[in-house]
Amino acid sequence: MSVRDVLSPFAAWKHLFRDPVSIKDPFNREASERYRGFHQNDIEKCIGCGTCEAICQNGAIDMLPVSGVDGVQTRPGDSGLRPRIDYGRCCWCALCVDVCMTGSLSMSNAYKWVEADPDKFRYIPGVDKKHWDDYEHGYRRPEGHRLNAPERIEMPELEPGERIDSFAEIVGGYSVEQARLEADRCVTCGICVATCPTHMPIPEYISAVRDGDYEAGLKLLYDSNPFSQICGKICTRRCETTCAASHEGDPIAIRWLKRHITEQVPFERYRAIIGEPAAATGHSVAIVGAGPAGMTTAFDLARLGHKVHVYEAQSHAGGMTRYGIPEYRLPFDTIQREIDLIVSMGVEMHYNTRIGADISMAQLQQDHDAVVLSIGLWLGRSTRVPGSDHRNVYKAVDLLRRIRDGEQLQAPKSMVVIGGGNVAMDIARSMARLQQQQHGQIAITLTALEDKSHFLADPVEIKESIEEQVTILDSRGPQECMVDDQDNLLGLRTWRVHSIFDENGRFAPSYDDGDEMVHEGEWVVEAIGQMSDVAILGDELTEKLDWNRGRIQVDEDGRTSESWLWSAGDMVRGPDVVHAVADGHRTARSIHAHLSALDKQENA
Amino acid sequence: MNEQSTPPAEGHRSGRDRLAASTTVAEILETAITFEQTARDFYRQLTPKVSKRIRWLVEELAEEEQRHYELFSDLLERDDLDEQIEAVIDRPAADTRFSDCIHLPDLGEKPDDQTVLQYAMGREHAAMEQYRELAESTAAGPIRDLFRYLAAEETLHKAELEKLYYETIHSGGV
Amino acid sequence: MAEYPDRSQYPAHLPDGSCDIDLSSGKYLKLWQGPNHPGITGNMSVELTVCGDEVVEGRTHVGYLHRGFEKLMERRTFIQCFPIVCRICVPEPDFNEYCYAAAVEELAGVEVPEKANWIRTLILEMGRVNSYLMYLGGQAGAFGQGVIGQWTTYARDLMLDRFEELTGARIYHMFILPGGVRDDLPEGFDQRMEETLREIESTLADVHDTMFRNAVFKKRAMGLGRVDPAWVDEYGVTGPVARAAGVAKDVRSDQPYLVYRELDLEPVIAHESDAYARADVRRRDLLMSVDLIRQVLARMPRKGPVMATLPNVLHWKIPRGETYVRGECSRGEYGYYLVTDGSGYPRRVNVRGPSYTHAMALLEKLIVNVNISDVAGLLVSLHTYPPEIER
Repeated sequence: MSVRDVLSPFAAWKHLFRDPVSIKDPFNREASERYRGFHQNDIEKCIGCGTCEAICQNGAIDMLPVSGVDGVQTRPGDSGLRPRIDYGRCCWCALCVDVCMTGSLSMSNAYKWVEADPDKFRYIPGVDKKHWDDYEHGYRRPEGHRLNAPERIEMPELEPGERIDSFAEIVGGYSVEQARLEADRCVTCGICVATCPTHMPIPEYISAVRDGDYEAGLKLLYDSNPFSQICGKICTRRCETTCAASHEGDPIAIRWLKRHITEQVPFERYRAIIGEPAAATGHSVAIVGAGPAGMTTAFDLARLGHKVHVYEAQSHAGGMTRYGIPEYRLPFDTIQREIDLIVSMGVEMHYNTRIGADISMAQLQQDHDAVVLSIGLWLGRSTRVPGSDHRNVYKAVDLLRRIRDGEQLQAPKSMVVIGGGNVAMDIARSMARLQQQQHGQIAITLTALEDKSHFLADPVEIKESIEEQVTILDSRGPQECMVDDQDNLLGLRTWRVHSIFDENGRFAPSYDDGDEMVHEGEWVVEAIGQMSDVAILGDELTEKLDWNRGRIQVDEDGRTSESWLWSAGDMVRGPDVVHAVADGHRTARSIHAHLSALDKQENA
Repeated sequence: MNEQSTPPAEGHRSGRDRLAASTTVAEILETAITFEQTARDFYRQLTPKVSKRIRWLVEELAEEEQRHYELFSDLLERDDLDEQIEAVIDRPAADTRFSDCIHLPDLGEKPDDQTVLQYAMGREHAAMEQYRELAESTAAGPIRDLFRYLAAEETLHKAELEKLYYETIHSGGV
Repeated sequence: MAEYPDRSQYPAHLPDGSCDIDLSSGKYLKLWQGPNHPGITGNMSVELTVCGDEVVEGRTHVGYLHRGFEKLMERRTFIQCFPIVCRICVPEPDFNEYCYAAAVEELAGVEVPEKANWIRTLILEMGRVNSYLMYLGGQAGAFGQGVIGQWTTYARDLMLDRFEELTGARIYHMFILPGGVRDDLPEGFDQRMEETLREIESTLADVHDTMFRNAVFKKRAMGLGRVDPAWVDEYGVTGPVARAAGVAKDVRSDQPYLVYRELDLEPVIAHESDAYARADVRRRDLLMSVDLIRQVLARMPRKGPVMATLPNVLHWKIPRGETYVRGECSRGEYGYYLVTDGSGYPRRVNVRGPSYTHAMALLEKLIVNVNISDVAGLLVSLHTYPPEIER
């Protein structure tokens, strides 16, 4: 201790001459650019997946219905919910922002908010307007900062060179390791469940993949979809279009994960996992058409103990999955296993039995308690442009059926396909394989009215068609199938289509006849649309039934205006396997209710 | 466009001659009204002949002709005829030319939906062409305006039919 | 130097070593310090038995701040634990974030990008600066010097500004998370940090003049709470308390973590081992942190990612395992013991904060014979943050 120790503290006096260091206007100090203040939510971008709610460890976020506010609607891909944040609980950790699947949620750098009423500190960002809604600064998820993997695990597939000369299945299927990694990406929001026509418990079966509990997964699949193996390969997977992960990354490969489950469980175990049908009820139901809708109805009704007879015109069941989808997408044995499983529930099949020719509707009505009509869309539409009645102008569905029936088609050297849907791709790619096998080279031109962004075909189909050397020309309007003097088909003449839809999304093409092309082809194949062969109903029944713009009028359960007749599948809902499955379930429920009501009447 | 023997209406030589010979707006409108009437009656007669499942289509076509019939009849009654006509020809409907390549089919005994639609589109197309031609060959004035008005109305109708055609026939495949 | 008279003759020691305190004798008085917030030491209380103005026995009582963090974490997914750990220590939260993240990364096998390690080091040193500044103000305040606290609070506030622009928050930064750190340094950060460091250095110079060269402070702090170097291992004493006793213990140099291997540092030591020496060790350690921040900014890579690719955190399961991750915080060794069982939740988390040993066992030993007025100063000199006692 020294004199210095007594004097030194007086150095503090120098601060008397210093300017104050405090902030002059603390009430208006702007927080830093990254400050994590009150939330902002881009309500248009938000899909209400609730991942923010799931990650919030404080339970500060609740998902509330706001349908009708600012254009928020409950619709596929949008739950119609939006997060409400309770600032009595929020700790400003911003995990909700980090995990947000669409990037809609962020935080402003506003940090001052005074209210007398404590309940006010609970609000729905973006819906309950706040002055910081349009603050420029605040916490946004930094680039590259992700709490889940945005990229899909690639599916092993045959390369174009390996697959082009055969009908071998292209997709290889995930390994257990790959499937787990892919399943891991799912945030379990369940938006897909609402989108799936048959409402499969998608997050749950994806969880089963993560846990490696495949038998539980298979049970979940077959409780909601008896075409799980088939859908695992060729489903149109609407679910993936609304997947929350698709907004800032690849959607979860839901279809491939379903396929993975079906591949992991030995087929011999399926039956035991799905369970035995109920005791016989004594009721009998006839189903016309062994496609996905008919067989789903059959499966459900047979499990409930009803006797089911399925009448099928072809020699095999499966409908369009069997006769419309090429083998490289869906091998026969997959379909056969699916059908065997359904038949094993006690379904009686009558193959090669055509309604109208081999048995009449009236007969079915007489022999059964209920009849289901599910005959699909097997007639191809024609453009009916000049020359389209030439013998070498085919319809895609007819050709596909012949190929899948085992007929050895002689492929033409060159061919034009009209249409931009999956059927057009199927026939183009099937014929490309035949051309490669028979001629060693491929010459297929695919033209469609629509531009590529409006093609109805799956983008993967388009990509793979191009890989398989199919020339795709979009926005071409067919004008004429050109025929020479010797009645040989030369090809297709088309005009360019400027635009095809009006502002309401309705058809309003504008053609440019100055841009005319002739596409060379020994064959022209039309794949523009399909219709149902309802002529088999006969005039009398046709006249009895109510119709709705060309389709049989059904109520929401699939029941027609005739109390004994239901109709399901493509012929009433339009073409899609999984919609047909959903329809089958609905129809089966309705018929079961009807039969149960009959029982009650009898007992009363 | 192929000439049709039945029904005599737009696109038919005799109809065209009748129109070309007309000298007043009222006369032309009256002629146009009879065309619509004829067409409506034609579809009404066709209705029971087609299968029940496509009857809706023929019924709609008949309704549409009836709508035109009423529209023109109303127009004839109005004092502000000129203004009404001008309003329509000022925003002409675009001809998409989609139907150009479609043969006007023979309806036959049991036409299907596609045949009926093609037939209807062909008729509207012919009517549109006819009014347009007449407008071109007429000197400026109220009569030319009326022809242009009628052409625009038929084009609109044709465009509506084309939409229906696309939605019915081009369901796009699976 | 304050030499306390030897009062060990009362109360009489019993054969088992405890004291014989007869409260009814009128010779002793029970006096509670706390559990109100006793200045900077946080929500704990010391139950004093005094004789005259001298303490004959002190018992620490904690639990007023118990929020059950360790148990809470057993019911939260691995990512959900991230926002709560920082709350275990208010003045220096970043060690919780770092230790937790590092433990999770080790058990989950996540490789953290190089640059993230540099930014983590930067943040930990920034946090140390803040913690020491807060301590200096508290230590001076405990001896009645109010102005020092105002100066250090100002300096700390500047550092909080840097925290705010880097992490988006001033107190609970929630920036170091399993996998790396949230974001890169903002534009112009180095320059503003340099200005802040200069201001802190200038504040420290003032503090040195008015506190460390202050007869009053010296008189009261020197000789107060002397820690025998032999107790360091016996009691598990770490950090500045150990270093002031001449034991050069510093996790940063003993078991270098993050990027400390690439930085120049020398543990700051003293030998007097009293409250003054501890304050001085902390002041010098603070200056070393300032130097370390400069080193980090000068040497750190400027390119590359700051965050590893994580599996989907919503159902992140970590294989069975256990680990202990440690670091040198401003009070000593901070550590997380994490046990995982293959599920999506920690099986057990144990937070090892230095305050536990310092403020309980050590304080009770040091507090005997101390004047009541020096109790606060003694408590602060052990640099206690009660929340880390009661996780």
